[in-house]
Parts: sequence; C-alpha cells; structure tokens
Amino acid sequence: MPSVVALPEVATVKRREFRSTLPALLFLALFFVVPVISLLLRSVLEPQLGLQNYVELLGSSTYLKVFFNTFMVSAVVTIVSLTIGFPVAWTLAIMPSRWAAIVFAILLLSMWTNLLARTYAWMVLLQRTGLINKMLMGLGVIDKPLALVNNLTGVTIGMTYIMLPFIILPLYGTIRKIDPAILQAAALCGANRWQALTRVLLPLTVPGMAAGALMVFVMSLGYFVTPALLGGTSNMMLAELIAQFVQSLVNWGMGGAAALVLLVVTLTLYAVQLRFVGDESEGGR
Amino acid sequence: MTTPFLKIEGIRKEYGPVVAVQDVNLEVERGEFLTFLGPSGSGKSTTLYILAGFDNPTRGDIKLNGKSLLATPSQKRNIGMVFQRYTLFPHLSVGDNIAFPLKVRRLPKHQIDAKVKDMLRLVRLEGFEDRKPAQMSGGQQQRVALARALAYDPPVLLMDEPLSALDKKLREEIQHEIRRIHQQTEVTILYVTHDQEEALRLSDRIAVFSKGVIDQIGTGPELYANPATRFVAQFIGDSDFLPCQMLNTANSRATVSVGGSVFSDVPLHEAGKPEGAALMLRPERLSLTREPLQQSLAATVSDITFLGNNVHVATSTKSGDPLSVRLPFGHPAISGLSRGDSVWIGFDAASAHVFN
Repeated sequence: MPSVVALPEVATVKRREFRSTLPALLFLALFFVVPVISLLLRSVLEPQLGLQNYVELLGSSTYLKVFFNTFMVSAVVTIVSLTIGFPVAWTLAIMPSRWAAIVFAILLLSMWTNLLARTYAWMVLLQRTGLINKMLMGLGVIDKPLALVNNLTGVTIGMTYIMLPFIILPLYGTIRKIDPAILQAAALCGANRWQALTRVLLPLTVPGMAAGALMVFVMSLGYFVTPALLGGTSNMMLAELIAQFVQSLVNWGMGGAAALVLLVVTLTLYAVQLRFVGDESEGGR
Repeated sequence: MTTPFLKIEGIRKEYGPVVAVQDVNLEVERGEFLTFLGPSGSGKSTTLYILAGFDNPTRGDIKLNGKSLLATPSQKRNIGMVFQRYTLFPHLSVGDNIAFPLKVRRLPKHQIDAKVKDMLRLVRLEGFEDRKPAQMSGGQQQRVALARALAYDPPVLLMDEPLSALDKKLREEIQHEIRRIHQQTEVTILYVTHDQEEALRLSDRIAVFSKGVIDQIGTGPELYANPATRFVAQFIGDSDFLPCQMLNTANSRATVSVGGSVFSDVPLHEAGKPEGAALMLRPERLSLTREPLQQSLAATVSDITFLGNNVHVATSTKSGDPLSVRLPFGHPAISGLSRGDSVWIGFDAASAHVFN
C-alpha cells in the first residue's frame, strides 16, 4: 500500500501539527476536562463513596422514563430530519447556484438567529391559540385545538427544525461530490429513476447521512433549551433532569451520574461513527 | 433503398444564444467504428450526448433502424456508453458494476453470473470481480466501464474520449484492446476524440467536426489524400499553407502561381474560408534540391531537426511563409545542408491542394 511508504513523512507532519495544538489542548484540559472529571468524581463520592447514585438513577422508573423520552425524541428528530433534509439537500445540490445561495442564506440566517428567539417563535406558532391551531380550526380540519406544545410533540417539532441544517449541510456536501456522469451512466445502464435513487444515489450518500444523523442524534441527546421551553413538566429529557439535580435540588452526585451516562452513550456513538466513516472512506473513492 | 442502421438527420442544438451543433447529418452502418474527430467545442460531444439521450436537439432527428429515438429516455434506449471520467459505481465491486445493467433488467441470477464472467474475459480482467473500483488503475477502470456498457448487448456503443485521462503508453494499449473488442463483438461504435492519431488508429471512418458541422466523413486515407476543407487538411496529417494566386480553374483543377512559379493541374476544393486561395503542401510529399527544377519554389533553410528515421527541414519561402519538408534519414539532399542555405522545393501537383 502506498500509505505505508508515505508513513514517516505523515508522522512528522502529525507531530508538528500536534505541537501547534498544545495551547488549545491545555485550555481544554484546564477548563473542560478537569471540571468534567470533578463532576464525575462527585457522582461516586457524594453523599458518600459508592455507586448509590447510579443505582438510584437506573433503578427508578421515573428516571428510566426520562432516558426513554430522551432516546425516543432524539431518534424521531433524527429520522424526521433525514426524511426532510435529504430532498432539501438534493434540491440544493442540483439547483442553479444563484438560487442555492439564497436558500443557504436563509438556512444559515436561521441557524445564526438566537436559539431562544426561535424557540419562543415556535411556542407562538404551536400554542392552543397559536397560528397553526387557528388555521386548522378555521379550515375546519379540527374542532378542538391540538396539544402541540408543552409535550414531547412540541419538543420534537422544535428540535427537528433546529437540527435540520446539521443534516442538510453534510448531505449537501456529499451529494455535490457525486459526479453527475455516474447518474448518467446509471440511466444508460437502464436504471429508472427509482433504481438510480435506491441503487446508486442513496448508497453513495450513506456517509453524509451517517455523519449528519449521528451529529443530530448526539446533539439531541443533550439538548436543553428547546425541551425546557417547548416540553411539559411531566415529560422531561435528560439535560433538563441534570439541570434540575444541579440547580434546584443541589444534588451534584445525581447530576454527575446522569451526566456520565449521557457522556458514555455519546462517546459510544462517536466511536461507532468513527469506525463506520473510516470503513466508508476506505471503500469509497 | 435500405434503411440505414443509424441515421442522424439535421441535428441542431442551441444553448440560449450559443449554437453547439449547427447541422449534423450522418449515416452509420451496423458494426462500423466511426470516430467524431474535432477540437473542443466543435459539437462532437454534444452530438454524442444527444444520441445518449442526455440532451434533446433543438431540431433534427436520430433514427435507429428507421425509428426515431428522441422520445425514448436514456434508460430505455439500450445504448452503451463509456465516459471520459471514471463512472464506475464506487460502492459496488467490479462484478456488481458489470451486473448492474442486468440486475435493473431483472435477469435471472445464473444468466447474470454467466454474462459477468463473459464480460470479464472479454476485457481480460478475470479474477478482478471482487475488487472495488478505487483499488484499480485508470486503465482497468475504463475496461470495466467498457464491460459494463457491453453487458446488455447494446446495438450502439458510445465512447466519449474514454482514454484522455490515461498516459500515452497505456492509451495505445487500450486502443488495441478496443480494436480487438470491436472485432470480437461486432458492436457499432461511435467514438469521440480530439486526437487524430487515435482516430486513425481505431476507426473505419472518421467524421471531422468543426464549428458544429461535419466538414468531411471518410476513411483515414481518404481524409489525408483528399481533404475537403482547409480545416480537415490541417487536422489530419501535417500541412503548410502558402498564399497563391489562382490563374485559372477547370474540372476541380487549378493553375496557380506561387512565388513566381506556376503549377498547373492542382486539385481544387471550393469549400473553405473566403480569405483568398491557399496552396496546401504536406511535408512528407515534398522534394528538396540544391538546384532549381522546372516546377519548384525557392526557399531558405531555417532549421534542421533530426527525428529518428526522419529529418525535418524547416524552410522559409521568398515571401516569408514557413514550409516544412520531411525527408528520410540519409537522404542525399540533406548531407551537408545547413541553416541559411538556399534550396528548391518541388512537388507533384497532384499531391498538393488548392483551397479557395
């Protein structure tokens, strides 16, 4: 393999690059790693040494429900974002670049708009007397307003909206990299649109979809603002639970335990992604 | 009259104000290897893409066995194509790439397996079935692309500069393979290239494209010996053009005067640019002497280049126009010849051409 021959050179470059990242690493160690470790330590040290916090966390149906809610909402948000994001990314990729630039501007502007403002906007839209309910009732589709906010439905809608760019941007990049001649070749080989989509286009976009989906899933697992504002008190998500332990109950032990569970899940998914994407780039072009 | 196998009738393609193809007419016989030769922007690739169904012509029609293809989308035309860029499906193995057109046609598995084997044998890549395209060289990838394009026995195979990304040696090797595969499969091939040597090496006939029209169609020797236009004369083989004065013309023969000498019975071609008559001479058809002959041009040697079996003598005529002579190595006229010498260049009037 050619990479074996090039190895010493790559190693030198890597060493040099590592040196230049030292200040950043030190900063991270001081202000991120140390606090995280101290928080995790408190989860096994408070109120006394032992795993009692984990036993309580994983043994109680209330807390398990929070975990379930979190994974459920994250999974639904990921799937819905993919379903909506793929056609959008595809359209963007084949659209004349002038129009694509406008759509991108809208996408990025919404990403840069304050998160709280965007979430409150969804509250206005989704509430009982909000735009959506009023419109549906005005059209006679429903008699009573739908409960679209202060529950997991509201959380899912709000988070899907926030996560969409994180799916669309990597997918757009992947689709743009596909040579249109490959799709022309598929057409001449006799593949109809559906076959070209399922046998060529979708398999080629798997790396982009995997990257986007994992990013959205992992971000959703620890998301706080949107669940806190659009969710109800009865259906909490994990980040809200951690905040409650630390801020209201001042129970650092339980907060740390919940944070560790979240961290382990996130890191596991990240490892899976690394493995997966690594395989893809080896087999791809 | 029998219906031609493939007929291109008055194809014109406009992209907004740009005319990519002006008016292309062509008849192709079954089993023929026909090359579209021309510089970039001459409309040869656009014509090929219209045949593939990626583009519809603004005007005109294409007929396969007398039936128009225009209403048929690419995926139903059953035409094979090898592209300039590597277009193997990167996520599929070599075997699956070749099987792809058969799988989308829902052929039974044993039939697909047998065909994939046949195709791998045809392009001499047995044993490469499980490789991914990224693990293969450019030349191998194009051979797999050829196998994929031929797997469904298309009546016509289109090739759009398939070798332009390869180096010269590999290119010649694969040209040889293409020639063999053409003879073996008897498929009709339309091949696009801007490389005259490639066109001459591969094709039965060559269509020379220039500015959206076909200037001339013919076999390599025909185009070389009898170019219809100045453009064809320049594109096939080497040539020099000397401005000349037309004295009289009769029966496509002209009598011209160049640098004070008169040459009669030179083949005349009406087509060409309107900027005055020019006499076309091929360097390998000229003779060189130290003494004036009856019909010859005075010139001064400006450079002598040794090219192995040939010696290239660059000269300049009295009017300052460059004129090259190619002579075999060891030719007596060259011995002792040096830069600045006065020489006389002669030629057989029948091997020259006048373009009006």
